[in-house]
Amino acid sequence: MSEQALKPAILGGPWMTENVFLGMSFREYAKSLLTPGNAVAAAILLAGIPTIVFRFWKGLGATTNLSQTNPWGIWVAFDVICGVALAAGGYTVACAVTIFGQKAYRPVLRPAILTGFLGYALVLLGLFVDLGQPWRLPYQFFLTPGTTAVMYEVGWCVFLYLMVLALEFAPAALEWLGLVKVRRLLGSLTIGIIVLGVTLSTLHQSSLGAFFLMTPGKLHPLWYSPFLPIFFFVSSISAGIGMVIVESALSHRAFRDRLDPAAPVDLDKITLGLAKGGAVVLFAYFFIRLQGLVASGRFDLLATGWGAWYLLEILGFILLPSLLFAFAARRQSARLARLAGLVTVLGVVLNRFNVSLIAFNWNAQDRYVPSMGEVVTSLTIVTIGVLIFRWIVNRMPVVHEHPDWRGAH
Amino acid sequence: MSENDLMSPYAARALEYGLALCYLILFVPFWRFVQGETPVHAFGFGWFQVPNGVHLHAGHAWARPEGGTVGVGLDDFAHKLVGPLDQLLLPPIGAPVRQGQKAFSLVAGGQQLDVLSPIDGHVVAVNEAARAHPEGALRDPYGAGWVMKVEPRWLTGNLKNLFAGEGARRFLDAAAGKLAQRLTPQLGVVLQDGGTPVHGIARALDPDHWDELARRFLGGK
Repeated sequence: MSEQALKPAILGGPWMTENVFLGMSFREYAKSLLTPGNAVAAAILLAGIPTIVFRFWKGLGATTNLSQTNPWGIWVAFDVICGVALAAGGYTVACAVTIFGQKAYRPVLRPAILTGFLGYALVLLGLFVDLGQPWRLPYQFFLTPGTTAVMYEVGWCVFLYLMVLALEFAPAALEWLGLVKVRRLLGSLTIGIIVLGVTLSTLHQSSLGAFFLMTPGKLHPLWYSPFLPIFFFVSSISAGIGMVIVESALSHRAFRDRLDPAAPVDLDKITLGLAKGGAVVLFAYFFIRLQGLVASGRFDLLATGWGAWYLLEILGFILLPSLLFAFAARRQSARLARLAGLVTVLGVVLNRFNVSLIAFNWNAQDRYVPSMGEVVTSLTIVTIGVLIFRWIVNRMPVVHEHPDWRGAH
Repeated sequence: MSENDLMSPYAARALEYGLALCYLILFVPFWRFVQGETPVHAFGFGWFQVPNGVHLHAGHAWARPEGGTVGVGLDDFAHKLVGPLDQLLLPPIGAPVRQGQKAFSLVAGGQQLDVLSPIDGHVVAVNEAARAHPEGALRDPYGAGWVMKVEPRWLTGNLKNLFAGEGARRFLDAAAGKLAQRLTPQLGVVLQDGGTPVHGIARALDPDHWDELARRFLGGK
C-alpha cells in the first residue's frame, strides 16, 4: 500500500463532501434523508428521547412499572441481557478468523465487530437509563468495589470489553480518516486485542447467567440450574453465529452499493460454513439444557403450562434450529441457514426473557408488565443503534475492504 | 412427584451419564450428516487435483491413513510432471522408510528419479499391479495408482509435516506457479490457455535437462 494513496484526513472541504455527505452537497444530502424508513426512525426518536429525559428527571417510578418485587424490567432483560448475547457475533467471528485462522469468514468480521461494538455501547446506554445517575457509575469500580459480587465482574468485563471492541473496530475508522500510522500500529496489536476480547467475553457472557444463581426461589425450577453460566455462555456462541448470519444477509442486501465489485464475496458459502458451526453448537446446547433438567429432577413440571413453555423453548428454539442448520449445510441451502439463524436469534432472546423476566418471580402475586415508556425507550435505543450502524457502514470500510488495506490485520 | 420427592441420586446419576452418552453417540451421525458425504472424487483446483483425506509431502508423495496402515503414492503433480513411467522400483516388504528420505524410485525416459517418503514406518505391502504396469498409475494417482502401504511409526507427528485440505491445494497451486514461470510457447494449448497440463511437462519444457527439474520438485525444493 502506498503512503500517497492514503490521503490524510482533512476535516472540511472536499474530504467532508466525499466521506461524510457521500459525495453530495449538504442540501442534496439532507434531501436524501427524506425516506419512509427515516420518518419511522424520527417518530420513534421523537417519542423516545423525551421519554428518556423524563425518566432522568422524574425517576423510575414515573416512567416504569418496576417495583421492589420486580426491580429488573425490559431495560435489563432486553437492552442488557439480550443485548450482550446478541452482540456475541463480534467475539465469535473474531476468534474464528484471527485465532483459529478461518480467513474465509473475514468478509463478515468487520460487520460482526461493528454490531458487537454498537451492541455493547447500547447495553451501556440501557444501563445508564436503568440505573440513573451515570456519574456514579465509576463507584462500582473504584470507590466501593464489591469484589465478591458477580455484578462487579460483569461491570468490569463489559467496561473493558467495550474498550476492546472500540479498538477492534478502530482500524475501519482510521482507514476512513486516512490515519496511516495509527492504523498500522493498531494492526500490529490485533491478535492481542482479539485474545483479550475473547477472554473478556467468555467471562461476562457466563457471568450474566451467574446473576441468577442467587435466585433459586424466584426463578422457575425448569429454568433455574446451577449450570446457568454454562447455558448462557454456550447459547451466546449460537446467538453470535445466528446474528452474524442474519445481520450479514440484511447488510449485504441493504448496503449492496457499498460492496466491492472487484472483490465479490460468496456470502452463501460463508453462511453455510457458519450453519455447520450453528448446528453443532445448538446440538450440544440442547443436550446441556437437558442435562440441567435431569439435574433438577423436576420432570413433573413438564406436564404444567410452564412445562409446555419450557418445551417450546428447548424443542422449538434450540433443537429445531440445530436441525434446520444441519439440513441447510447438508443441502447447501443458504436460505434455510438464514431461517435457522433467525430462529436461533429469537430463541436466545426468548431464553433471556424467560430467565430474567417471564419465569422470574413466576410465583409472585405482583407480575411485571412493561410500561409504554419502557417499551418506547427500548425501541429508541435499538433505533439509535440501527441509525449509527447505517451511518458507519455507508462511510467506513465495513462491508468492503479499503483498497489500500486489503488483507491487512 | 413433588418438589421434595426427588429421584434417588443413583437414578439421577444414571440418567445424567446416559444422557451424556446419548449425546456422544448421536453426535457422530449428526456430524456426518452436517458435513455431508465426503466426495470420493478428486476435486479440481486449477491444474492439479488432490482428494479429501490425502496428505501431501513437499516431495510430492502422498500419504493417506487407512485403518492401521498408511497408503503412499505419487501425487497428480508429480505424475504429470514426470509423465509415462517405464518402471517403478519398489522397496522390499519390511523395509524401513523415513519421512523425507528415499522411499522408492521412478524410471522414466531412461532417468531414475527418487521419491521421498511422506512418513516413518516400514513397508507392509507394495502395489504389484502398478509395478507391472506403471503407466496405468497416471490415470488414477490417488486410487489404483497407490505405490505401497506402510505401517506407520509416528503418524500423528508425521502428518503435522504434511499438507492437507486447503493447505494441499495451496501447495499444488504454488508448485504449478513455479512451473508456469518456466513455460515456453512450444507447449501449445496448456495451462494459461485453460488447457490440461500435458503428461510429462518436465520433458516438454526442457528435453535435455528435464530430469534435473523433476528431481528438484521431487526433492521438495
